[in-house]
Amino acid sequence: MSEKDKRSEEEKRKKGFGHLSRREFLKDAGLVIGGTTMGSVALAAGAESPKQTEESAPAEVPGTRTSADAGTIELTVNGGKYRFHVEPNWSLRQLLRDEIGLTSPKDWCGGQGACGSCTVIMDGRPVLSCMTLACECDGAVIETSEGIAKAEHPIIDAYIKHNAFQCGYCTPGFVNSSKALLDRNPNPTEADVRDALAGNLCRCGTYQQHPPAVLEAAEALKKA
Amino acid sequence: MKTWKRFEHVNAKSVDEAASILKDGNARVIAGGTDILGAMRFEILPDYPEVLVNLKSVSGLEYIREEAGMLKIGALTRLEDIAKSDVVRERYTALAEAAHKTASPHIREMGTIGGNICQFTRCWYFRLPDNRFNCLRKGGRKCYAMMGDNRYHSIFGAAKGCIAVNPSDTAPALVALDAKIKTNRRVIEAEKFWEVSKPGSTILDAGEIVTEIQVPTPVKRVKSAFIKFTIRKSIDFPIVNCAAMIGTDDARICLNAVYNTPCRIPASEALIKGKPISEKRADAAGAAAIEKAKVLPGERNKWKIQLARTMVKRAILNCD
Repeated sequence: MSEKDKRSEEEKRKKGFGHLSRREFLKDAGLVIGGTTMGSVALAAGAESPKQTEESAPAEVPGTRTSADAGTIELTVNGGKYRFHVEPNWSLRQLLRDEIGLTSPKDWCGGQGACGSCTVIMDGRPVLSCMTLACECDGAVIETSEGIAKAEHPIIDAYIKHNAFQCGYCTPGFVNSSKALLDRNPNPTEADVRDALAGNLCRCGTYQQHPPAVLEAAEALKKA
Repeated sequence: MKTWKRFEHVNAKSVDEAASILKDGNARVIAGGTDILGAMRFEILPDYPEVLVNLKSVSGLEYIREEAGMLKIGALTRLEDIAKSDVVRERYTALAEAAHKTASPHIREMGTIGGNICQFTRCWYFRLPDNRFNCLRKGGRKCYAMMGDNRYHSIFGAAKGCIAVNPSDTAPALVALDAKIKTNRRVIEAEKFWEVSKPGSTILDAGEIVTEIQVPTPVKRVKSAFIKFTIRKSIDFPIVNCAAMIGTDDARICLNAVYNTPCRIPASEALIKGKPISEKRADAAGAAAIEKAKVLPGERNKWKIQLARTMVKRAILNCD
C-alpha cells in the first residue's frame, strides 16, 4: 500500500477513528500489512502440500529470484525476530516502514544518502537504511528510534531537555547516530559528537543543541 | 522515494564466482552499495544492471594487517575502520585522513575502500537522473560539460574528450603512498589504476574485481598528509584534494578532482625532493603544480586552479 493509498484510506475512516492521530493510524496500518505479509511467508515457507503452494507462493516475476528460500530473510528489529520474503529491489527502509510499521526511518533526500534521516543502527553501525538492500540484511540486528525510546535510553530525555529538534523530522536519524556513538564510545568529547552527527542534516538548524544533549546522555549512562 | 527497477541479486560465495557472473552479462558488483545503488536508483547508467553480485557474502575480504613491510587492506574494509585504525593513522597518515574525510559517517560505515577507488564520476551531466545526457562516458557523441556548466570540472584538459573529474578521496592518498591494487587477476600500480572508460573510471576488465590494497610501509622519518577542499565540512565530494608523502630524499604529491584520473605532480615533487620543507618552497611547489593548468570554455572552473595551488602547498606543509 503506497503512502497515498494510506492517506486516502485515512480520510475514509477518519470519522470512525476520530480519536486516532495520523501517526497512530499509519503505525496501526503498517502493523496490519506486516502481519499479513508474515502470514503469507509462514505459509509459503512451510508449504509442502500443492494446494497451499498454489494459493500462497509468491508470484514469479521475471528478473527476480524464483525460489522462496533465496528471498527469505530473518532479522532482529528492536529485539523482535522477523521473517520476511523480500524482493531484491526492496530497501531496508521500505521493509522497516511498510512491512514492520516502524515509521522512524524517514525519507528526505530521496535515497541519495545525503541527509541521514533514514539512519538505523545495524549490527552496531549507524547506516543509511535507504541505501541498504533488504535482502542483504539476513541475520542482521537492527535498532530504530522506536526501540531506543521503548528501552528508555537517556538520549531521549536529553534530546527533550535540550530541545534538540524543532519540526522533529530529522530527529530519529540524529537519535540513532547518537546512540551508535554512545554504544561504542561511552566518553565522547564534543568533537566526537560533532563528528558522529556530521552526516545528519537538520533544516530547522538545531545543530547547536545536539552536542550538549549527547554529552548529557553519556553522563546519565555512566551514572546508571 | 524512487525505488529501484527490478534486478536479480546473487550472494557470491567466492571472488571467482562473482567474477564469472560479471563476465557473463549485464551484471555489477555491490559491496557497500553507496555508489551503485544511487546510480541504479536514479538510472544514470545507459544499461540498467540485470544482476547485482553481492561481495559482502564472500568471507575474508575485510581486514587491515601489516606484514612483510606492507600494509594490506581487504577490498571490503569499510572506510570508517580504516580511518580509525591505529596502524593506518600512525604510519599511513594520508590514507587515514583521506578515509576520514570521505563523505559522511554513515557512508563511511557502509562504503568500502574497494568501492571508493572504483566509483563513478560525479559529473552532473553524467549523474543526471534517467540518463538524460548520453555523454561520451556513456557511449554518446558529446561532452555536455565542455560547453555547459563546468565549474567543478578538469583543470588539466580533457581525456578522451571527457572533462569529468575523479571524485575519490582515498585515490590520491594511495598514489602518494605508492600503493598497489590487487585484483583477482593481477597487481596494478595505483598510479596506473585509473583511466577514462565507459562508464567506469578504472582499467579493470569485465570480470575483474579489486581484492586487496597494498601499501608499502614508509621508512622512518617519512610523513604523509591529505587535505581536501569542500564547501561543507562533511558529506561533500572534493572540489580539489591533495595527498603528499615526503621523506628525506623522496617526495610524492598527488592531486585529485582536477582531472579524469588522480594526477601526480612531478614538477612540484622535484622542487621538494631532498630539501627541507619551508613555506617558500611549498609555495613554489604549489605554483609549479598549476603551470600546465588551463581553464575550460566559459572560464567557470578558473577558481579551481588557485585552489589546486593552495592544496599542494598546504599538503606539503602538513608533512613537516
